[in-house]
Amino acid sequence: MTDQLGALTTIFTEFYYWITVVLMFLIHVGFCMYEVGASRYKHHQHTLMKNTMLIPLVTVTWFLFGWWIYWAFPTGPGLAPSIMNESAALITDDSLFSAKWYVPTSDLMAVNLGDHISGVFWAAFLLFSWTAASIVSGAVIERITTFAFGILAIAIGSVFWSIDAAWGWHFDGWMLKLLGYHDAYASGVIHAIAGGFALGILIVLGPRIGKFSSSGEPRNIGPRNPWLVTIGLFLIYTGFWGFYAACNIPIFDLGPEYGMEGVTYFTATNIYVTPTTLGGITMNFLMSLSGGLLAGYVVAKGDPFWTYSSGLAGIICASAGNDLYHPIQALIIAMIGVVIAYNLHYWVERKFKIDDAVGAVAVHGYAGVAGLIICGFVLNGYPSSGYSVGSMWVGTDYAPINPLGMFIGAIIMFVVLGLIPGWIIAKILHGMGKLRIPREVEIAGLDYNILEAARNDEKAVSSSTR
Amino acid sequence: MATVTNWIDHLSAAEVQGAIYPGVGTEGMLVIALLVIWIGWHVITATSEQSEQDKLARKRHGANDHKSNITDW
Repeated sequence: MTDQLGALTTIFTEFYYWITVVLMFLIHVGFCMYEVGASRYKHHQHTLMKNTMLIPLVTVTWFLFGWWIYWAFPTGPGLAPSIMNESAALITDDSLFSAKWYVPTSDLMAVNLGDHISGVFWAAFLLFSWTAASIVSGAVIERITTFAFGILAIAIGSVFWSIDAAWGWHFDGWMLKLLGYHDAYASGVIHAIAGGFALGILIVLGPRIGKFSSSGEPRNIGPRNPWLVTIGLFLIYTGFWGFYAACNIPIFDLGPEYGMEGVTYFTATNIYVTPTTLGGITMNFLMSLSGGLLAGYVVAKGDPFWTYSSGLAGIICASAGNDLYHPIQALIIAMIGVVIAYNLHYWVERKFKIDDAVGAVAVHGYAGVAGLIICGFVLNGYPSSGYSVGSMWVGTDYAPINPLGMFIGAIIMFVVLGLIPGWIIAKILHGMGKLRIPREVEIAGLDYNILEAARNDEKAVSSSTR
Repeated sequence: MATVTNWIDHLSAAEVQGAIYPGVGTEGMLVIALLVIWIGWHVITATSEQSEQDKLARKRHGANDHKSNITDW
């Protein structure tokens, strides 16, 4: 960096993403508190550690291969050619945004004076990965083994979400070109896929002991500590601000980027490099949170657990198009998403005996899918990219956003990359006898030995005289 | 191991070398070490988790037995 303006832009961008990473850390703090609050006393410590250990597991695998997948897979491979090298193969050539630079042995995957941005961008995406895995974590509490959850967390956090991000979130992704897919703040690429993945696991894992009566009627379990749940959800809201900011590019000159001769147009953009404003998306974030809370309070009859969760579901539902929606549209879309998610949760629970302990499939999965489908109608006709505009199914340029493309995109996220892989991996782990804890341990409590040791320590200490 | 021994020389070079971590060129060995740590962690924790749970399962505690272990401190 030798000129002051270039240096200022680079260092500002580096610092901007660094701040988003710190803010997004609160999402994980929130998820941990939320899960402990939702679990029963005898399972608390294992529940906490299960969610905590996804941090190193997803981080290590994101370093080893997750980040590489994101940069290699935008073309499918084989589905639509890259705009960088016009090839539909994996992007591993010498082009600027090739996966070649992000193999774990690359000198760009470290302190490098020639690249200030890749590291913070890697970290921002890693925090998205933790979120995807953490969403799954809540649904399966109190009965999954830590080993199985570790494998599943790596699968969703460092493989399947990374593939979906390459397909539907990368500026060169084939889903933008063939389908006109648009998902600015990740209704689908984080939330629908994680919800679908969790549902796939839950089908194999089964409910907690006692969740359903002998006649099949569902019983309510928890939350054990509603105050911890409350703080957890407020922290998730807070971290979500960072998430929204991290999905943007803070400053970009779109004139030369789009090949417009002599035009200079500096703006913030979304992840697809199309213009938006940080101010506008902040309004939409707050209005969709409000819509979710308003609708949740009504449908859940004032139940705090569901009202808070509905605030989150509202944001998730509006997120696909929150770069362009009017704030009132965002609020209404959030309300629709909450009504769908809440009712679908209880219908699925009764009909299929699915025990989603924290409503993760509903809040993230159903609300995310609803958000994608609604986005297809409300943003129908907008370009999915600024680089070019073409027709659906062609693939050499970018299809406009449309209802059918967004519906197919929702199926890809929830079912193809979420539910099916989750179900298959859970089946394999189940077949190995590694998925679920023994029945006797579930009844006694995962923390039984820890509690017993603490009791013995207490006895020993209180009977001591010196 | 030191990649940089004099910052003035390093930054005034015709082409500044970006990578400044110690041991540039040993990335392959570092990645192999990380793979061993990662896989090894799974193996160790899977074994200990299985053994701990088998031991606890054999005791066949009731659903409320843990309540007698709740401490006051």
